Amino acid sequence: MKIIACYSNKGGVGKTAAAVNLAYAFAASGQRTLLCDLDPQGASGYYFRVKPSKTLTEATFFKDVEKFTKSIRGSDYDNLDILPANMSFRDFDVFLSRIRNSRSRLKKALKAAKGDYDVILLDCPPNISTLSENVFRAADAILVPVIPTTLSQRAYDQLLDFFKGNDLPKKKLHAFYSMVQGVKSLHGETMQAMNGAHKERFMMAQIPFASDIERMGVHRAPVFVSAPVSAASRAYQALYEEVRKKVAEE
Amino acid sequence: MMETGSNSYFLKPDALASLAQGMIGNLTAVLTLKDGAIPFTLLDTFDQSLRRSGRMLLEIGETLELLMSDGRVLSQPAERNGRFVTDFQAGAIKQSLSDLSPLRSLSPVGSGDVRRGMIAVLDDDHKTHCRAYLQIFASDGEERGALVTLQGLRGYGKSLGELRLHLEACGGAPLSFGEIYAEIFPEQNGYDAKPEVSMAPDDTAFDAATNIISAHFPVARANEGGIIEDHDTGFLHDYRIALRKIRSVLSLFKGVYEKDQSADLKARLSDLMKPTGRLRDLDVYLLERQRSYDLLPDTLHGGLDTLFRMLAEERMVEKAKLARHLASKTYEKEVAELAKLFMKRKKLRPGPAADLNAHDYARDLIWNRYRKICSIAGGIGPSSEDAEVHMLRIHCKKLRYLMEFFGSLFPEKDFKTLLMPLKRLQDDLGQFNDHSVQQVSLQDFLWKGNNWPDGVDLEVAQSVGALTAVLHRQQLELRAKVVESFAQFNGPKKQKKFRHLFHQRRDTK
Repeated sequence: MKIIACYSNKGGVGKTAAAVNLAYAFAASGQRTLLCDLDPQGASGYYFRVKPSKTLTEATFFKDVEKFTKSIRGSDYDNLDILPANMSFRDFDVFLSRIRNSRSRLKKALKAAKGDYDVILLDCPPNISTLSENVFRAADAILVPVIPTTLSQRAYDQLLDFFKGNDLPKKKLHAFYSMVQGVKSLHGETMQAMNGAHKERFMMAQIPFASDIERMGVHRAPVFVSAPVSAASRAYQALYEEVRKKVAEE
Repeated sequence: MMETGSNSYFLKPDALASLAQGMIGNLTAVLTLKDGAIPFTLLDTFDQSLRRSGRMLLEIGETLELLMSDGRVLSQPAERNGRFVTDFQAGAIKQSLSDLSPLRSLSPVGSGDVRRGMIAVLDDDHKTHCRAYLQIFASDGEERGALVTLQGLRGYGKSLGELRLHLEACGGAPLSFGEIYAEIFPEQNGYDAKPEVSMAPDDTAFDAATNIISAHFPVARANEGGIIEDHDTGFLHDYRIALRKIRSVLSLFKGVYEKDQSADLKARLSDLMKPTGRLRDLDVYLLERQRSYDLLPDTLHGGLDTLFRMLAEERMVEKAKLARHLASKTYEKEVAELAKLFMKRKKLRPGPAADLNAHDYARDLIWNRYRKICSIAGGIGPSSEDAEVHMLRIHCKKLRYLMEFFGSLFPEKDFKTLLMPLKRLQDDLGQFNDHSVQQVSLQDFLWKGNNWPDGVDLEVAQSVGALTAVLHRQQLELRAKVVESFAQFNGPKKQKKFRHLFHQRRDTK
């Protein structure tokens, strides 16, 4: 089982869109996939039309493994399940440690519920906290969408500093350019500068700024479904293939 | 992800509309039908072992699909080298069918069209909670029924439960492949090599004998087509068993029919069987081909090539001969007349035992046969003649037939405990006999004096000689096995049971 986190310390960078489409692509390739919506805003769940789970708001939630596995919902697509949002950060922490620990009751419960997943994707909330640190330690790969602008560049540098300061393995970070607009010269210049500075950390695939991605909120489906023949779909497919290789190397 | 489990149902075509209509609780059912119907052919062995084991094999275009009773569907390319499972390409279906008899071919049960669709059950956000996959089968241009497979999505168990209730309310019945066969191909009567002949305790011996015989003529006749077409060796095998059972009734049920008529009928049955003997022998030799090769070193395979080539050629001739015979008017007239005689009964002349109670009559027949077997088996040892073992085999076969004929008159559980070890004993006896017959026929083959060139002559003689020696050694081992399995068959507990069921005084039963 591989754990892949979609993470950005800056909001509105296309993190959830990436998590949703990558989860779909992993599942479509036949891998049993669980997408965990850890962002309290619950956008991942919304895209898959899954209503937030009521049981998740209960404080005792993580003491009860059965309740956890019961709150997982099958998506409309083969091999893809969703854990809807509404988790507190405290729960989030316990969740990670349990999912990692092969002897944990959570892991056994997932197995027993025939949800022994090949890939678990985490759609993380956008901030750096002691809790994010646990995501960084638990995940096999951390995908970081970066809009090629000055502010995003700054946020990315802050993330790298955080990794350095907390002795976290930088090689888990796999950044990619998101919401790229080819017509903007600033985007081109920023990408050039960042590629020079962080050559090994950036993947080849780029996600364009596309109305098909914006419209995911209207269609409430991955772009692979709502716009299968589009530049956005092709871009996510390329990203998926690159991520799959990176994760296999871990 | 999918919830698994037994989720398959059968639905009559007129109930489909109500299944797909409107609301299920707070949820909406949305039906999508795929465009166009696809032609399909339903495949099974002649004895419908797939249907019996709860599976359905469809050939749809270039794909084979195997529907399992739990709703799973396996598929693989349809292209294959022949009619047997071994001729299939490696794949999920071939693997799943590995339990089928390698001797039985798969042939079309019938053809029709299948239309596929799905009912999605959605909430107010248009999120799917569960689905019902539909396969609507039609034959002769008429919709016959639908196979409905429910699929639940994780976390929506309640909705699946509601869909299931809705489906059941619409008339959905838990899947039975027997029903699907019968609905899609109503003209198919379902072949059964061992038809159950029901008997009432107050039936007479005459009723019992006549019922058994008239149930077995259709079995024999159902196999004629397959023998003529030469689909597989199972047809001739079943044909012969059905006729042999009829002949056994005539010879075992002494006094049920008038003496002269009984003798005449026995002779006519023997005449029916006579033309089939050589072909069956050749089938057995050829089915053993691979085992013969495995028994001898490569250096002796050359002679076997010649041997089996000759046997195969002879089989072609015999098969053509039998096919001509079965298609002839003389045969048709004779077999139809015999079947009619037992069906109508008017011309059957009852013998002195005709009015005996079937149950009492059965007890006596079985008990006497059992005693006979015990006395023969008691004398079999390392130095006994093959002929004695052969006799034991014949009597065991007769006992088995009797027990099967009258099975419904006795407690099922008791019968099973006696039949199982009898079957094992018969298997060993059968093998012993095959080994003995094969050695004789190998010698015959050499003595026939085929005009082979010198080199081939020697090669064949060497191979046949070596094979005979190996068969002889195996036969000795089998003789010891027969003694052992007889002991199993006739242990103290089983002796007691035989006595209890078939010999205890009538007034104490």
